[in-house]
Amino acid sequence: MEKLTKVEFSNLEKILFPKLEITKAQVIEYYIKIAPKMLNFLANRPLVVTRFPDGIDQNGFYGKDAPQGTPSWVKTVKFYSGTAERDINYILCNDLDTLIWLANIAAIEIHVPFSKADSREKPDLMFFDVDPEPPATFKNAVKVALQLKETLDKVGLESYVKTSGKKGLHVIVPIASGHTFKETRTFVHKIGQQLAKTQELVVSEFKETKKPGKVFVDYLQNSHGRTMASPYSLRAVPDATVSTPLAWSEVKKGIKPTEFNISSVVKREKDPWKKIFDNKQKLTV
Amino acid sequence: MNMEKEKKVPRRPIWTGSLAIGLVNVPVKVYPMIYDRGISFRFLHKTDGHPLKYQKVCTKDNKVIPWEEVAKGYEVTKNEYVIFDKEELEAVKPESDKRIRLDKFVDYFAVDPVYFDRSYVLMPDKSADAYGLLLTAFEKKGKAGVGRITLRTKEYPALVHAYKNALVLTTLRYAYDVVDPRGFEELKKLEEPEKAELDLAVKIVTDLSGEFDITEYEDNYKQKVEELIKKKLKGQTVTPEKPVQEEVKGLMAALKDTLKQLEKQ
Repeated sequence: MEKLTKVEFSNLEKILFPKLEITKAQVIEYYIKIAPKMLNFLANRPLVVTRFPDGIDQNGFYGKDAPQGTPSWVKTVKFYSGTAERDINYILCNDLDTLIWLANIAAIEIHVPFSKADSREKPDLMFFDVDPEPPATFKNAVKVALQLKETLDKVGLESYVKTSGKKGLHVIVPIASGHTFKETRTFVHKIGQQLAKTQELVVSEFKETKKPGKVFVDYLQNSHGRTMASPYSLRAVPDATVSTPLAWSEVKKGIKPTEFNISSVVKREKDPWKKIFDNKQKLTV
Repeated sequence: MNMEKEKKVPRRPIWTGSLAIGLVNVPVKVYPMIYDRGISFRFLHKTDGHPLKYQKVCTKDNKVIPWEEVAKGYEVTKNEYVIFDKEELEAVKPESDKRIRLDKFVDYFAVDPVYFDRSYVLMPDKSADAYGLLLTAFEKKGKAGVGRITLRTKEYPALVHAYKNALVLTTLRYAYDVVDPRGFEELKKLEEPEKAELDLAVKIVTDLSGEFDITEYEDNYKQKVEELIKKKLKGQTVTPEKPVQEEVKGLMAALKDTLKQLEKQ
């Protein structure tokens, strides 16, 4: 067999998504197929992964540290963690082999921070987490995301949207270098407050996050330690959904997050976020 | 590979004890004498060449049963069993008697080969003199001793005789383990042969009489298979290789495609 990858596959027939009987082989295949669209979002970002070696019905483990047995060719970067009070060896996924290796260790969910390893304090993405609190639903999140887009349009910022893969939507604004997390956090908070004034559904303050039936525009994630599910990351939910970049035109009534899953997303020809990193925008705080 | 296994002398005795004749004990070691040097094959999976293994499967639900869950059953009537634990049977096992007791001496040729089970070589155990004495006496009288030996868990009738300057023990079969041909109906219908025919038959037997030489006989099938093996070794051999599963093939196809796309980027 030709050597197309450095990764030694293991336990390919292991079922990782029991409801749909999706095997590890299928998960790896998904990540191989999505790699051309996905790798750009991973490059040079210290990753946090959630691994489910025994399938998503069993406890997974959330890992910042590169696990024991990480091959020497996998790039890592060391940062001191205040909470863990030690250095953590973060995985960097800058190539296809690393992505395949992650899939092979059953790292179903791959999370990325909003800044790169070489400029950790300086974000290049501004993140709005549109998170509905039950009984608010995805439908409510869609409504709020569209209002959010309108608001951002008004201040001259182009935004990008993706499903979280769970119940919410993520809205991203790529930003020019030089801004700090404090600035992005403040900016997102202000936009949230603005929305909350006119929209009954929206709450903008952390203490209100658990208000039933409300949609919180979470600004707190804009910090160097925080992450979001990477664009095109699978989610550890029974339907094997994918956090999927969408065109704003797709975000409308009737859209369901489960439409975007391990089998459908690779068939999407569109790559609505393709030019996201060419569109670095300055914030006027 | 060594197909022509040399006839070697076995290294370890399978039993040690003594030959007991009356009050005389001759310490001996018992070595295996019979080997099955036929060709043995392993079952393989035709499609990938991997060896197959046996598993004990429950006839009720086809589940594989581990050893701990295996018991012995004696079928009393059809589908009805008396179950035994290992311990229960262990308790009634014959004690391993450390003596081969010879009860009497008979003409060796008086024992029909149908009773022969398996032969073992006896070697002196630290008292070569007693062994030598016994061997010479056997040779001189042309007699064989008949007695009993307990090997592992079974007691056998046994015959001890001199063979090629050594004492050899042959375990025997019990009378009830050997079919008595007089039970066959066909034999009862046999007619007395005509004299002329009988003379002819006797003549043939006389003409073809000769010395017995076991080395005149060879296993033709074994030789043919060994030739086949040699041929296969030069050409196509079935060697188990690392399995390339269907899944891996699928992944490789996807991988080729992705690598092509990444090259373009």
